[in-house]
This record gives sequence, structure tokens and C-alpha cells, in this order.
Amino acid sequence: MANEPLIEVKDLVVRFAVGGGLKRQRIVPVNHVSFTINPGEVLALVGESGSGKSTIGRALVRILEPSGGSLHLGGADVTKVKGKALAAYRREIQMIFQDPYGSLNPVKTVERHLRLPIRKHKQDREGGISEQIDESLQTVGLTPVSEMRVKFPHELSGGQRQRVAIARALAVKPRILVADEPISMLDVSIRAEILQLLKHLQQEYSLAYLYITHDLASARYFGDRIMVMYGGQIMESAPSDELVDKPRHPYTRLLLAATPNSAHTGPLPETSNRSPDLSENRQGCPFADRCPYVMAVCRTQDPPLIEQSAKHLVACHL
Amino acid sequence: MSNHEAINEAILEIKDLSVAYGTAKGDVLAVQDMNLRVLPNEIMGLIGESGSGKSTLAYAVMRLLKGSARVVKGSVRILGKDIYAMDKEELRQFRWANISMVFQSAMNALNPVLTVETQIVDTILNHRPQLSRREAREKAHELADLVRIDRSRITSYPHELSGGMRQRIVIAIAISLEPSLVIMDEPTTALDVVVQRSILDQIKEIQQRVQFSVLFISHDFSLVSHLASRIAIMYAGRVVEVTEARSLMDAKVAHHPYTEGLWRAIPKLTAKSVALEGIVGTPPDLLHPPSGCAFHPRCRYTFEPCRTVRPQLQDVEGSEIACHRFVPEGIQHGQ
Repeated sequence: MANEPLIEVKDLVVRFAVGGGLKRQRIVPVNHVSFTINPGEVLALVGESGSGKSTIGRALVRILEPSGGSLHLGGADVTKVKGKALAAYRREIQMIFQDPYGSLNPVKTVERHLRLPIRKHKQDREGGISEQIDESLQTVGLTPVSEMRVKFPHELSGGQRQRVAIARALAVKPRILVADEPISMLDVSIRAEILQLLKHLQQEYSLAYLYITHDLASARYFGDRIMVMYGGQIMESAPSDELVDKPRHPYTRLLLAATPNSAHTGPLPETSNRSPDLSENRQGCPFADRCPYVMAVCRTQDPPLIEQSAKHLVACHL
Repeated sequence: MSNHEAINEAILEIKDLSVAYGTAKGDVLAVQDMNLRVLPNEIMGLIGESGSGKSTLAYAVMRLLKGSARVVKGSVRILGKDIYAMDKEELRQFRWANISMVFQSAMNALNPVLTVETQIVDTILNHRPQLSRREAREKAHELADLVRIDRSRITSYPHELSGGMRQRIVIAIAISLEPSLVIMDEPTTALDVVVQRSILDQIKEIQQRVQFSVLFISHDFSLVSHLASRIAIMYAGRVVEVTEARSLMDAKVAHHPYTEGLWRAIPKLTAKSVALEGIVGTPPDLLHPPSGCAFHPRCRYTFEPCRTVRPQLQDVEGSEIACHRFVPEGIQHGQ
């Protein structure tokens, strides 16, 4: 079927244990989250710290074991695959991280960072690897290739390192890339180029993305659709322009108003700045404590995520 | 405030300041021939990327340079007084009473084993020994009101407060002695968007109420343009432009090519699918700075003099810009 989603996440739950001894309790950074990503689509996942956005990214590439729910790739269940099947899944989905300083091995050259994943992709046939290293460096704009191949991470700038990380992720020719804050540690003048590169790769290889960010402006620029998270749950999800122009959820409105250079002037609506409660037995809407429009029902019942107009989903009792 | 009489006198005046770091490969000039004036009761933004020298400048203004860093030339005057001419005791009394600083990740600057109230009170008593402890505590409570922290919370220890609250406490400590100038170095970088915005709004509100000047240092262009009235833009240790924050939104106003590039490189929330444009190349290596204008290897308008002659700040349509494009003779040279 042509319209089949590439990734389908259903009811994803991730639980962590925190604290020790008598204080030991469980928190739920991802609480029954469902979404899909279509082939070649960029889904921007926006939220503040503690919203669960990075945890979703990690669960998606199976660095973290989901505690509940299911993951499907192209219709196949990959929630619990192990061994070879997991390796095969990870050839389809790759991840790039926020910190290009930490995600590369300081004693390996650029070339060696790429050699292993390319060999994996070619199923260990040796031929043509060198040409492919050149090609993938070209793709991510690390030129002149012959010079770049032999450099160590410390000889590269932050932007160049992030390009190596992107090249490495792309080496196995995945269909989807999870990009967790890929530009937030880079200099402002470099960020735009990395975003453009990611966008170019999307168009060139019809690569899909889960783009995780705290910045609504870049989410709008890069994302086809934006999904706003708070306290481990999806608050609102809509096509990017619609979400920015016609936000419905009070939290989305607050985030928009707080973003520099938004149309919003004057003070923010008065809310507490408390961070969300992620404990297992929390009741009601996670945003209730900060919501300016909170009602009695918000504190007892979790609002369901409902499609209010085409492709525009909102979880709010209002 | 009484300590500055003439209204047009700059609170902070930096003249021809250069700061060098000694390294094994020779001196690196992190700040070069810097000139900057901060006027009474204004919020001045200072923008630069990493390595542009903005934090080094802040430390130099506070006379807090450490290790191999030293001022090699120029002067820093605060309220007309040269802070590098003061002796230790004079400097100790002057600093914090007249100029204070909120550091990057300031929320980790609090002492974890003292309550925040004690920390505010100690700061006040250290500089105002004539006050009683009770008076200082009263003052601490007023400051808590000012930064909108519940009075009952200020007897807490830092770990009992959220990041945003700690940052507010640090701001309260910075303004506790009613200084004329507060330097804020990326004070909200580690905070969430909503908390960041509410702290910025508060800084603005308090600044208008209590009246002091702010030098607000950040890499975040859209944030600074929201807060500041004037903005200085640094590149490779130099100020390349000083402009009105408002003029950035106005496409007709001329800017330094670096300013222009930076502005174009930020995704805008309100603009519908405007193409982003990065600035090609990477920030310069200060050990081997480019000749002429430091920005010329990345500049789209580079012509002959840019490679050899260093441009000086000039008045251009109400801004000060250091670029050969805006100097008539420069253009003639290029042809």
C-alpha cells in the first residue's frame, strides 16, 4: 500500500526507576504515546526538558527498551526484535546526537568512522568501500575529501563533526533518521547549513526524520508536521504551519508566546514554572499545574488526543 | 541613582581594549582594539559566536581575567573610573557595588550548603557593614519580591529550588547593592524556553523599575533582539557593528555582512518557509587570523581592500559598521 506509514508507534510507554531504597519510585517519561511517520516525512518533536522527547528518540532506535506498546517498521513488528533482526532494523533507522564532540571516537580518523558502517551495509564485501567513503563525504559536504578522510575529530570544527556523524548514520542507507537536537550545540552561523543539509538529504533520498528539538522556529522550518509534548504525553500535533498559525492547546500557545520574535508581545500568561510531574501515579492532564485555563476535570482525567480538524490532534478538555 | 551625574556620560566605556591569552604557540588576541560604550539605563546586547571574545570581554571588564589572559592595551572605565588603576581593596569595594555580573550557568554558582537567604544577606553585609543583619534580611526579602520568589522559599537551599528560581536568586544577588551596570553572560542559556522568556521579561521589568544598565551577552540573536535596545556584534575579537535592535527587523537598513548573514541564518517563527542561508566556512582560528577584515574569507561581498586593509567602525545610516562596502574610497580602491 502506498500510504502505509514507515514507522508506526502505538501506545509507547517507557518507565524508569529513580532513587534507591525506600525512596525508590518509578517515573514515566513516555506515557502512552502513539504516532506515525510516513516515508520521506519530517516529524518535528518539540518539548522542554523533561517532556520525554529524547526518550522517545532513544526508544525508537531501541537503545532503550520500551516498557509497553509497539513499534512497527513498514508493517513489521520490531518492538522486541533481537540479534540479527535488530541489526537489520537498525540499518533502516539511524540516529544522530546533540553533541558532535561526544559522539565521535577521538582516536579514529574520519575514514575509520565510516568504514565499519559501510562494510556492514555491503554485508562485508570489501570492494568499493574506499569509493563509498569518498561519496558519502561528498554527500555531506566534507570536502576536499582526500584531506578530510585522514583527519581526527579534534581537527574538525563542530559543524564538520556533525557532518561526519550524519555521514556515518547515512552509510547504511537508512530510511529514517532520528535527529536529537542536532544543531543546538553548534554556532549560529553553522546551524543553518546543517539544517539545510538535512533538508537536502530528505529531498534527495526521500529520507524520513524524527527531528527532536526544543525550538519551535527550527521545527517549523524543517518539520512537515510538529508534535508538541509535555510531561511524557502528546499535547498537540498538526502540520507545521497550521500548528504555528492556529495553535489550540494552551501549552502550545504558551510555548509559541515564549519563543523570541513571536508575534506575542506583553507578559506571558501567568503560570508556575514547575517542571512536569512524571511519577507513575499522577492523575489527570500533565499540564494542569501550569495551565491558565485549568478546570476540575483536568486534575482527575487525562484528556484523550482527539482529531479536531484534518490532521490536527489536540489533547485538552477545553 | 546618585553616582552618575551627567546623563550622557557612559556607564561603561571601553577604549582600544585588547586582551591576549598566552599559549605555547604565542599570544592569541581574543579581544582586539575594542571600543564600546554602555549608556545609563540601557540594555545593550553583545552578540558573538563561540570564540568571538564576548566572554573574555566580560571578564576583562570585571577585572576577573585569570591564568594566561591579560589586558595588553586600552582601558576600561566604569562610572568614569579606570578599574585597572584601582588597588585591591578599592576594587573589592567597587566591584558588586557598582558593577556586578551574572555568569553563564549562574544557577550553579550558588553555594550548596548555605540557604539562599544567607547568601544574599552575606553579599549585602560584606559591602554595607553599617547595616544590621535584620536590615539586610529585610532587604533580601524585598529582593525576593522583586524577582518574584515567594518569601517563604528564600530560606531554602539551592538544590530545593528549580533552575529558573536559582537563576532569579543569582539575579537578585547581582542587583542587591544597586549597581549601575550588570553584566549578564548567557544568563538563560541552560533554561527552558518558557522559563527563559519569563526571566527575560523580569530582567526588563526590574531594569526599568530600579534603573541600571545591562550588558547582555549571548550567541542568540533573536533573544537579544527581543531584549536589548542597542546591539553590538563581535566577530573574531572585534566589534563589527553597533546598531539599534529595531533596525534588524527592517530589511532596508544596511548592516555588516556578518550581521546580515547571522540574521538570515536563524529560522523565524513567524515567517512562512523563508529560505535559510548559512554563512559558508567556519569561524576563524585566532592563532592565525585572516589578514584585513577577519570576515573576508566567509563574506559574499569581498573585494580587494578586504583582504589587506582592516576596516574601522564608521557611521552608516545611524549604525556603526566596520566594512569597506560602506566606505566610498574603499569602493574606489576595489575597482
